[in-house]
Amino acid sequence: MFAGGKMKAGIVVIGGGPAGLAASLKASEYTDVMLLERDELGGILQQCIHDGFGNFIFGKMLTGPEYAEHFIERARDAGIDIRVGTTVLQVEGKKIVASGSDGILEIETKAIVLAMGCRERSRCQILIPGTRPAGIYTAGTAQRLINVEGVMPGRKVVILGSGDVGLMMARRLTLEGAEVEGVYEIMPKPGGLIRNVVQCLHDYNIPLHLCHTVVDIKGKKRLEGVVVAKVNEAMKPIKGTERFIPCDCLILAVGLIPENELSRQIGVAIDSRTQGPIVDERMETSVEGVFACGNVVHVHDLVDDVTIAGEIAGENAGKYAIGEFERIRKGKVIAGENVRYVVPQILRGMEDVTSYLRVEKEMENVKLIVSGKKTFEKKYRIVRPAEMVKVKVNADILTSNEVRIDVKS
Amino acid sequence: MNDKKIRKRIEKIAKKISKDIMVRVENRVVYLEGRTNSWEDYLKLGILAGKIKDVKGVVNNIDYPGKKKMIRKQGGKEKVGEADVVIIGAGVVGCAIARELSKYEINVIIIEKAEDVACGVTKANNAMVHTGIGEKMGTLKQRLCVEGHKMYERLCEELNVPYEKCGMWIVLTKDSLKFKIPSFLANFIAKRIIPFIILRRGKKLGIPMKVVKRKELLKEEPNVTKDALVAVYSPTYGITSPYLLTIALAENAIENGAKIMLNTEVVDVMVKDSRIKGVVTTKGIIEAKYVINAAGLYADEIAEMAGAREYTIHPKKGATLIFDKEYGNYINHSMSLLRLPRTEHYKGGGVMLTVDGNIQWGPTISEVEDKEDTSVTADEIEEIFSMFSPLLPHFPRAVIAYFSGVRAATFTEDFFIEASEKVKGFIHVAGIQSPGLTAAPAIAKMVVNILEKEIPLEKKTNFNPYRKKPVVFRELSIEEKKKMIEKNPAYGKIVCRCEHVTEGEIIDAIHGKIPALNIDAIKRRTRAGMGRCHGSFCLPKVAKILSREAGIPLEKVLKDGEGSRLFIGKAKCLLEEK
Repeated sequence: MFAGGKMKAGIVVIGGGPAGLAASLKASEYTDVMLLERDELGGILQQCIHDGFGNFIFGKMLTGPEYAEHFIERARDAGIDIRVGTTVLQVEGKKIVASGSDGILEIETKAIVLAMGCRERSRCQILIPGTRPAGIYTAGTAQRLINVEGVMPGRKVVILGSGDVGLMMARRLTLEGAEVEGVYEIMPKPGGLIRNVVQCLHDYNIPLHLCHTVVDIKGKKRLEGVVVAKVNEAMKPIKGTERFIPCDCLILAVGLIPENELSRQIGVAIDSRTQGPIVDERMETSVEGVFACGNVVHVHDLVDDVTIAGEIAGENAGKYAIGEFERIRKGKVIAGENVRYVVPQILRGMEDVTSYLRVEKEMENVKLIVSGKKTFEKKYRIVRPAEMVKVKVNADILTSNEVRIDVKS
Repeated sequence: MNDKKIRKRIEKIAKKISKDIMVRVENRVVYLEGRTNSWEDYLKLGILAGKIKDVKGVVNNIDYPGKKKMIRKQGGKEKVGEADVVIIGAGVVGCAIARELSKYEINVIIIEKAEDVACGVTKANNAMVHTGIGEKMGTLKQRLCVEGHKMYERLCEELNVPYEKCGMWIVLTKDSLKFKIPSFLANFIAKRIIPFIILRRGKKLGIPMKVVKRKELLKEEPNVTKDALVAVYSPTYGITSPYLLTIALAENAIENGAKIMLNTEVVDVMVKDSRIKGVVTTKGIIEAKYVINAAGLYADEIAEMAGAREYTIHPKKGATLIFDKEYGNYINHSMSLLRLPRTEHYKGGGVMLTVDGNIQWGPTISEVEDKEDTSVTADEIEEIFSMFSPLLPHFPRAVIAYFSGVRAATFTEDFFIEASEKVKGFIHVAGIQSPGLTAAPAIAKMVVNILEKEIPLEKKTNFNPYRKKPVVFRELSIEEKKKMIEKNPAYGKIVCRCEHVTEGEIIDAIHGKIPALNIDAIKRRTRAGMGRCHGSFCLPKVAKILSREAGIPLEKVLKDGEGSRLFIGKAKCLLEEK
C-alpha cells in the first residue's frame, strides 16, 4: 500500500486508459513515471466486452478488456508507480494535487501527460425538452450498467444517435432481451462506422431513422415514452411529424466531449473545434512540458490510434524530462475546404508525420490536398465525417509557416 | 367592498364567460361553482375574481371537460402517533415552522408524502433571498419577505447552510420601456424616473439601494450589454440553497425533539364539533390538537379535507436553465433586466449566481393545469434565451441542466396565513409562492404567534439552534483534506468527478438524520451528479454505494421515490422471462 504525502516524479501521466497506459510505458523507458487513474486501469475499455479492438496494432480482434490487459501487464512489469482510485484535484504549473483513499498526494514533476479521455454529451446539453424521469441514460453509462454492474436499464428502448456507442448498445440491449424500437439520428447519415451499422443494426433488424430527433420526454417517475419528429435541413423539428413512442428507456449517444477541465486549469490552449488541446506532432501542448494524447485531444474512432498517440506523447515527455527535448512551436496547419479539424494543429516540419482529420460532410471520389512547400495529393473513394481520415505527410512537404489541407472533388 | 358587492361584480364578469356560473361570497371569500367549456375559462374566472378589491380568497370549484378529480388514497386505521401539532408538508415552510416550534415545549410531527424533505415546490426554487423590493406594496408577502430577509444571515449561520449576499443589479436598457412613447422620453424615464421610484420604495422598506451609471456598471460588469442605460444596485440581495436549508431546518427541528414521518400521505383531516382531532394518513391515524397546512400545491385539497377551504391553488410553472461552472465568473452579481409594463410572460426572474458556482437563467412563468407538470418545453428554453440574452449578449450557451418548478399560487396571489375560523385548530399556510423561500423564517414566526394565542407556549431551556455542518470535501484546504482521509479513507475516494464529491460524503448522506435513500436525495445533499456530465459517470457508483449502505438490492435503487426505479432488474432478467 502506498502512502500519501509529498513526492517527486519524472513524469506524471493523468489517466490510465489506453492513451495513458501507452504513454506511461513509453515514458518509462526514459525516466520514472507515476500513473494516476481515478477508477481502474484500462479506462472505458473495461466495459467494452465486444471485440474489434487491436486489428491495427496486434493484427487480431480483441475485446476491450483483452486489449487493455496487454498494456496493464506490461505497465506493472515496467515498474511504473500506478495509483488507481486516485483523482487529480488540481494542477498548478508542474505541481499536482491528487486524492485517493491513501490520502492526498502532492507531486512535483518535470513533465505531465494529459490522458483524461472524454465524456458523453448529456440530454441537457442538446436541449431535449420534457420531464426528468428515471430511465434516461447515456450509451456509455448503459454499457457500464449492463456489462459491469449487471443491471438492465430498460425493457423497451429508444436510442438517439447513431454514433458507434449507440450502435453497439442497440445490439447489446437486443442480445439482453430488450426491445430496441429504433435508432434515431438527426443527421442524414449514420454517425458511426459502416461496419457497425451493418453488424449492430441490420443483422438484428433494428430500424435506423435518419433526419429524426427526440423532441419530448414523457413520464414523471419512470420514463413513459418519447416523442420523435423528423427534422428539416436546418435540423429543426418539422411540425406535424411528431410521433409518440411508448418506452421505458432512452439511450443517448449524442457525441463525446474531451474532458479538459484540468488542461484549462494548467492554461493549455484548446482548439474550439476538437475541444481538445492544440498539439504539435510530438503531442506537446501550448504549455511547455505538458503533453496530451488520446480522446482528451480529439475523439478517435479506433483505440489503436489512441495507443499510437499515447506512445508519441510518452516518448516526448520522457525526452523532455531528461532534458533531450528542444521545444519548437511553429508551423500552423489550416483545416481547409471540407475539413472540420486536423490534429496535430502545429507541424514543425522536421519529420514525417501522420495527420488525423475529420471532414465536414460526406463526399465521393475526392482528392485530399496537402499544400505546403510542395503539394501532395491523395485520392479517396469516399470520405465521411464518421470516419477519421489518416494521412501520412512527408517532412519535405512541410514548411515552417503554414500547411493547408483541403478535401475537394 | 362587502360580500354582496363583490358577488355582483363577479357575476357581471362571469356572465360574459359562461352562463352556468354560480357565485357565492362569504366573509370575503368567493366560491365559484358551475361549469365552463375549458380550463382556460376556469382559470380566467379564478384570476378575475382574485383581482377584485377586498377579496380574501377564491375557491374555484368550476368544472370543465377533462378536469381531474381529487383521488383520495386509502388511509390506515390504526393510531400511529399523537402530537400537539401536526405540520403537513416538509417543504421549506413546513420545516421552518417545525424548527421554530421546536424551540417550545410542544410535540410536533411533520408529515411528508415524499421520501425526502424539500421534494415539492421547494426543490425547484431559484434560491434567491429577495429583499422585497419587487413585491407589491402592502401585501403580506412583501412584509414577510422583508422580515424574512433580515433573519437569513443568522439562520444560515446557525444551521451551517450556504448563504451569500451576492448583490443584484436591476438593469435598465433602452428596451426596458415597451410603451409607445418617443425614445427621448423613454430614455429620460428609464434613466431618471424609474431609478428614483425604485430608490424611494427601497427607502420606505429599509432596503439599501443605489443608482449606478452606465459607465460604472460596465466597469463592474464588463459582459453586460452595451445597451444598458443605468442600473439600480441592491447590495443585500442574497442566495442560498433551498434544499440544503430545508434539510438543515428539518434536521435541527428533529434534534430539538420534533418528529418527521416521510412516505406518509395525509388522506383525511379529522374534525369533530368544528375542532381538529388529527389526521388520517396512509400509515395510520395521528391524533393532534392543531394541524398546520403547509402542503404547498396541495394546500387547497388538505383544507377541503378539513372542511375549511378558502382558496384554490392554481399551479404556475417556472423553468430555469443552469450553465456550466466554467462560466460561473462571467458576472460578479446577480442581475435582472427591468421591462415595463410587466407582461404575462415576463414577470422578473433574471441571471442568477448560485451558491454552487453555476449561473442560472430564469424562471419563466406559465399557468399549468397539472400540479406536477415539471416538464421544460422547447418554447420555455427558447423563451429563457430570448429573455436574458439581451442582458448578456455573448454568454456561452453551455447549458448543463434545466428544471421546472410549480408555484403554489392562490388566485388572490398573496400568502394566506391565518387560523381557520371555520375549524378550530386548523392553520392555513397557503399560497406560498415567490418570495416564499425568503419569507419562510418570518412565516414560521407568524405561525408561532398565531398558535401562541391558542395554547400556552413555553420555551425550551435546552434548545440547540446549531446544526453541525456536514463534510464538504471540495471546500476543505489540503491540510484539512489530509486529516479527513486519515480519519476515514472514504473521504479520499472521489465518486463524482465533476463536483469532487467523495464516497465519505455520500455515506454520510445515506446515514444522515434524514437518510438519503434515493439518488436524487443524495444528489441534493452532496451534489453528486449535479456537474457537467450530470451523472453519466457517477450514477452507477452512487447507486452501488446506496445499495451497499442501505441494504437495497442494486436493481431496486430508486431515482426519486416510489415508482422511479432506475433499473428494471438484473442483467439477463429479460432473457429469463423469455
